[in-house]
Amino acid sequence: MEATLKPYMERDTNGKPHKLLDNTFKAFSFYSLAILILSIPSYFLVVDWIWVTEIDDNHEIIMERIENRFDQVHVSEKDLETILNTWNILQPSSSIRSLSHLEAKPDSIYEITKYNEYEKEWDRFRGLQSVIEINKKLYLLNVETNVEESYETIFAIGLITLLMYGLLVFGFIRLNKSISIKVWKPFYLTLSKLRSFDINEGEKVVFEESEIEEFNELNQTISALINQSISAYNQQKSFVANASHELQTPIALLKSKLDILLQQENLSQKHADLIQGIQIPLSRLTRVNKNLLLLAKIENSQFDDFEKVDFQILIDKSMDLLHDYIEERNIKLEKEIEVFETVFCSKFLAETLINNLLSNSIRHTPIDAFINVKLSNRVLTISNSGQDKLEEKTLFERFSISTTATTNSGLGLAILKEICKQNSWTVNYKFENSTHIFSVQF
Amino acid sequence: MKILVIEDEKEFATDIVNYLTSGNYLCEVAYDFNSALEKISLYMYDCILLDLMLPGGDGFQILKELRKQNKQDGVIIISAKNALEDRIKGLNIGADDYLAKPFHHSELAARIHSVIRRKQFDSSNLIVINELKIDLLSKAVTINSTPIILTRKEYQLLLFFIGNKNRVLPKSALAEHLSGDVADMFDSFDFVYAHVKNLKKKLNEQNYGGYLKTIYGTGYKWETP
Repeated sequence: MEATLKPYMERDTNGKPHKLLDNTFKAFSFYSLAILILSIPSYFLVVDWIWVTEIDDNHEIIMERIENRFDQVHVSEKDLETILNTWNILQPSSSIRSLSHLEAKPDSIYEITKYNEYEKEWDRFRGLQSVIEINKKLYLLNVETNVEESYETIFAIGLITLLMYGLLVFGFIRLNKSISIKVWKPFYLTLSKLRSFDINEGEKVVFEESEIEEFNELNQTISALINQSISAYNQQKSFVANASHELQTPIALLKSKLDILLQQENLSQKHADLIQGIQIPLSRLTRVNKNLLLLAKIENSQFDDFEKVDFQILIDKSMDLLHDYIEERNIKLEKEIEVFETVFCSKFLAETLINNLLSNSIRHTPIDAFINVKLSNRVLTISNSGQDKLEEKTLFERFSISTTATTNSGLGLAILKEICKQNSWTVNYKFENSTHIFSVQF
Repeated sequence: MKILVIEDEKEFATDIVNYLTSGNYLCEVAYDFNSALEKISLYMYDCILLDLMLPGGDGFQILKELRKQNKQDGVIIISAKNALEDRIKGLNIGADDYLAKPFHHSELAARIHSVIRRKQFDSSNLIVINELKIDLLSKAVTINSTPIILTRKEYQLLLFFIGNKNRVLPKSALAEHLSGDVADMFDSFDFVYAHVKNLKKKLNEQNYGGYLKTIYGTGYKWETP
């Protein structure tokens, strides 16, 4: 997994990571927008239909009333003329005109748009024309009502819908936030536990019980996976330790037999050379085995004899032990030791650390070159001249350095790293100005 | 000189016995806890080689029993465990030395030699080989009463040779003796050659018997009867 990629983000098509909830949020927003847009014409149609039906019903009632009233009040021909004239002047929304028999027609409903003089605008009107009979004569009754303009209705509905949509989206965002905090809380807890998990520590991860079934299932699955990994890791570790332990006796026997063989009288030069030839790979085997055991012991934290350790003394001791090898390669050894506080750690591991660092430098320094050992401000730095930068990533891994030199057990730096890890020290490697620089910060 | 080898690995015990017997030591072997306990109760030894993991019991128990009986036998623990706490525990209970397996027989012989010398404190803190005298206390070496100034490493080598008389000593054994655990971090033991050469030169200057021989391609040998 890339380090930069946050695991709980999924990537969209643009490659930009976003939160999972944003997916649902987007879908919900688009869906509600579509529905609300569709609702505008539906609302309009319904509202308009209700309007129009109501008005038409009302017109029908008015028409019937007028006809009935005229039937009930018997007015003379002359009076009727006057009444109808007055009616047509005073009643703005209805008119009654006399009609010849020829013009008789069935009831009709119409809609017109005409200029409203009072409101100075064009208005929509709905009307009913019906032929009524007063005093055995036919009259045309016309009732009209001003209906709300369609665009006004649509505008009003649209405005309200937009407002509602705004409220909806606002609500989605707020809900999303509070849901994501609440609902995803167990997920983030799990995530942070997984991030701090280190198989080397061998500690099982305990997840809190969540109210959400899916997260519980996830946690259970992860727990099972982790437990499997830990047990496989431990098995592997103890296998290495057991294997190297079992190898000790045969190695000791081999070495012993070679010693005895070397003491045989009349040993020919050829045989002596052969013994020598066996001794070199045997000592490599011994070395690898010894270091594997040591590594296993460090990993199992078997060195707990902590005491105040003075690194200056240990460095001098190590230099003394390695003096012959330094001289043999004609290496110039520089030592810069400033005031250095003692470190609370296992003395044996501290010795191993220094011996490994120094012997590593000695082995890899060209003849006649230099090694610099510097101890200052809780940092031990050992630098030596070299040609090519070492592969940083795999440098501290077991058997990572592929070299034909039989001296190398391939474990020296792995041991170094493990010692640092156990003591929470940091070890760094740099390559500058043709110089390999290893530093340990206490 | 009587040595008791307490070691359950028979092959290994036999090799040790073979190596030591030709060096004028008288060796006995105990392969398990009970026979070892019996032997230390019945007899006196100059040096006991003690393996810690034994069938039937813990090697430390034997060491404790020995000290309980107030016996002064020298004890060298030989263990495959090479655990620091074992080393410390053993030395605290009263072992004289601790040698981790695998080791060169020459190293073991040198350690035995040194332990026995230390135990015979009263009579001989002085090693005398014809004209050569070594005072173990003051670390002074003389040939025909003429003092020879040796470096620390040359002195260590001299004692190592004397502890392994008439044995072929490979350079690797000498290197291990001189630089201990760090020796196995290197393959080249050429520095041994330089030290031996200097030692030889200093001894030759005083006309010693020329006991130190170079065995070509193999190592060195100290030849004295």
